[in-house]
Amino acid sequence: MDGFVAWLESTRLSRGIVHYRWIWPICEIIHFIGLTLVIGIAGFFDLRLMGFMKRVPVSAARDLMPLAIAGFLLNLTTGATFFIGAPHQYVNNVAWWAKVFFLVLAGLNALFFETAVGARTMSLGAGDDTPRSAKIVGAVSLVSWLGVLYWGRMLPFIGNAF
Amino acid sequence: MTDFAVWLEGSAVGVWTRESSSIWAYPTVLTLHTVGLGVLVGANAVIDFRLLGFAPRLPIPSLAPLYRFMWAGFAVNTVTGIMLFASNATTKAKQPVFYIKLTLIVLALIVTAVIRRTVERDPALRIADLSSRPGRRLAALSLLLWAGAVTAGRLMAYL
Repeated sequence: MDGFVAWLESTRLSRGIVHYRWIWPICEIIHFIGLTLVIGIAGFFDLRLMGFMKRVPVSAARDLMPLAIAGFLLNLTTGATFFIGAPHQYVNNVAWWAKVFFLVLAGLNALFFETAVGARTMSLGAGDDTPRSAKIVGAVSLVSWLGVLYWGRMLPFIGNAF
Repeated sequence: MTDFAVWLEGSAVGVWTRESSSIWAYPTVLTLHTVGLGVLVGANAVIDFRLLGFAPRLPIPSLAPLYRFMWAGFAVNTVTGIMLFASNATTKAKQPVFYIKLTLIVLALIVTAVIRRTVERDPALRIADLSSRPGRRLAALSLLLWAGAVTAGRLMAYL
């Protein structure tokens, strides 16, 4: 791992990210905007899956999901920029690994929804309750994304970043 | 303002938020501020994007419960925001970007309230087929103002 970190930090890309001092704050701003899209849009869908806001038709709530995916892609890009710029801050940081754990959990949960649960929920209209499987998937998703946010915010405090 | 900032920074809340080594002090207050931001601005984004024409099958009146989430997020961020300001009041009170942030929040809240009124007064929402211009403009303005508030908040760490 140390070899990988040393190599990455020696690349022109990594040096450029640190050299141009405006890159980091701009990426942070974008990272926070992306965060609101993921928490807001995906969280809204998760709550409906959990059985809240029943007047919302499930498939209609899902129509917004491309915006959550867009937010996620913004954060993946800016997050990768942080990592490439200063990998040593992250690879030895327990908070970062916890964040990655919740990211993987959120991803697997979404995959499970797409392959096993989603189809059964798409016909649910206004007023319909969701099956228990959908409630669990929604709750796991919400907890995962809040976990990602929590451990991201804890990078400098529990871990050693910045 | 300076006297007030000095007093606030020396107050029990300011000292605790700044100096306590507890994970429940500064780190948790900052995290709650971020969660509140996500809930407040995120719930706003759901309504704004709907008004802009995304997810046209989504009935606008069914989104009304989101306003409760916005209020909750706003309440959390008012409390945590005061604590974060108190922790370093003399510095933050001198930052122009802090006042820009507050201004943007006030403007964003006004636009959010106007959108809510408009939506509730016309629940059949011709706004629902809302290619309606005023609805779209308000929604775009709301997104811009909230994104601006987030941006200004982030820049407080740098400027």
